[in-house]
Amino acid sequence: MSKQINISSLAVGYDKKIILENINLVTETNKMIAVFGRNGQGKSTLLKTIAGLLPSIKGTFSYEGNDILNLSEKERSKLLSIVSTTQTDIGGITVKDFIAFGRFPYTNWLGINKEKDYQEIDKAIKLCKLEVLANRNYNELSDGEKQKVNIARAIAQNTPIIILDEPTVHLDLINKVEVFKLLKELVANHSKTVIISTHQIEYALQICDEIWLIHNNKVEALSPTEITNSNKLTEMFNDEIISFDKATQSFRLK
Amino acid sequence: MKQGKSNKTIYLIASLIIGTVLFFILDLFLGSVHIPIKNIIAILFGEIPEKESWSVIILESRLPKAIAAILCGAALSVSGLQMQTLFRNPLAGPYILGISSGAGLGVAIFIMGLSFLGVSVTGIGLPANSGMIISSILGSFGVLAILLSIINRLKDIMTVLILGIMIGSVITAIIGIIQYFSHDSQLKSFIMWTMGDLSSITNSQLTLLAPIVLIGLALAFISSKSLNAYLLGEEYATSLGVNIKKSRIIIIVITSVLTGSITAYCGPIGFIGIVIPHLARMISNSSDHKILIPLSILLGINVLLISDIISQLPGLEQSLPINSITSLIGIPFIIWIILKNKKITNLN
Repeated sequence: MSKQINISSLAVGYDKKIILENINLVTETNKMIAVFGRNGQGKSTLLKTIAGLLPSIKGTFSYEGNDILNLSEKERSKLLSIVSTTQTDIGGITVKDFIAFGRFPYTNWLGINKEKDYQEIDKAIKLCKLEVLANRNYNELSDGEKQKVNIARAIAQNTPIIILDEPTVHLDLINKVEVFKLLKELVANHSKTVIISTHQIEYALQICDEIWLIHNNKVEALSPTEITNSNKLTEMFNDEIISFDKATQSFRLK
Repeated sequence: MKQGKSNKTIYLIASLIIGTVLFFILDLFLGSVHIPIKNIIAILFGEIPEKESWSVIILESRLPKAIAAILCGAALSVSGLQMQTLFRNPLAGPYILGISSGAGLGVAIFIMGLSFLGVSVTGIGLPANSGMIISSILGSFGVLAILLSIINRLKDIMTVLILGIMIGSVITAIIGIIQYFSHDSQLKSFIMWTMGDLSSITNSQLTLLAPIVLIGLALAFISSKSLNAYLLGEEYATSLGVNIKKSRIIIIVITSVLTGSITAYCGPIGFIGIVIPHLARMISNSSDHKILIPLSILLGINVLLISDIISQLPGLEQSLPINSITSLIGIPFIIWIILKNKKITNLN
């Protein structure tokens, strides 16, 4: 089976209420994919469903031929890790111990880390440049630091796919850019596939390989160039007050 | 883990074990009849003391009570710890959230229910003992299941307290109605049960209770890995490979077994379940359940033995109810927790 991510006739929603349906997307692995869409269009629902946190109503999401949605939590946790918007409050734990949670799927029933686990933890700390914070208390960190630690935890989980739901939402400009660059590096040098939902459309267009655009209850896969050269973004923000300027690749107030 | 931290934990656990032994002997020593320590130890090792009646006092009365204190302290503390983690709420505990009341309802239905069949609880031995445990566990499980379905929707943890009080009141009302329709003899057995405390436990009840509690504690320790994952919240726990539905049921079954079986024989004992897990987190500065479970067990045992010792201090004509002692220790601690973090959002 070729190295592909394949979403086929997927329908997502809560209970019986379908939010998005008939989603069909095929894409190569080892890419950075951004999910665009206005609030309430179903970005989170889509990501939660393919991450296995919400049951799908219909359809499949397969990675290299395996339907991820049909796997047990345990099997899935070795293929796919998540980072969400919600901040975790957890006391009495160092940054390093927090990142060690990423090794959870690989440890024995007591959760004891072995040599290999510590190597993965150290690797994640290094990649995210968290060495200085490693022995600090997780609860003392700033929002930006916490989010990076969360990403490090996902990296330590060592899964081919990482799904991030608006990971930069509480962060300042520098932190936002750092998170994007870190994710790009994971794709470029560590053969990860990163799927990220974001409102940072301008950065995402510069840095991502593919965009999944959610608009009018449909999901479309497009390249950043296709997006810039079309009117889709202006259409998406179907308002009189904002438009997307193709030349500068940025939004303009009207 | 850093060396210093794990060393500290080892010292802590060692001193708590020594404390357990000391308080256990002290608990056997205190009582209306003075028995020299030398003789107590002799009796424990199966030798014959100076007076034969001492043997009866120790083996039939003080020893079961001290063992009951140990089982209670361990079971209620672990129960509380599991509930705090499962509900992500620092004020969760078996007593305050009405789990003990649920156990009481189970026992009430069992005792009064038997009257309709024309059987007296006092008349039958083992079947009554196990029936009481089972009904009490089912009662706890019922309340936990109700709480679990509501609690995730409540963002404010103070609301949870009110909910617990409401569940407790509803159950008291139901028990009142059951009592109203009961025969005198049944009513008497139930009232006797509600007044029950550590000293009312019999040796035959202990042989049933001890294995149940020990199995419950062992299962709780085995679940410590998934309890740890719960600290990250349910979504992250799922993404780390935990089957939330399954592990949630396992955790509430263990909690109901621990709380229910203890409440069946010792009556409701308050506040140990809330206070001890906090103490364990405070002194270990850890949130790892591999450490918190053994530590809560030991702290719970020590605190309950101390409470039992206080309840029968020399100079007191009669022993005080154990529930009053644990409340007097527990409530100021809870108020302190509330004042310390006005906005309690996490478990530490």
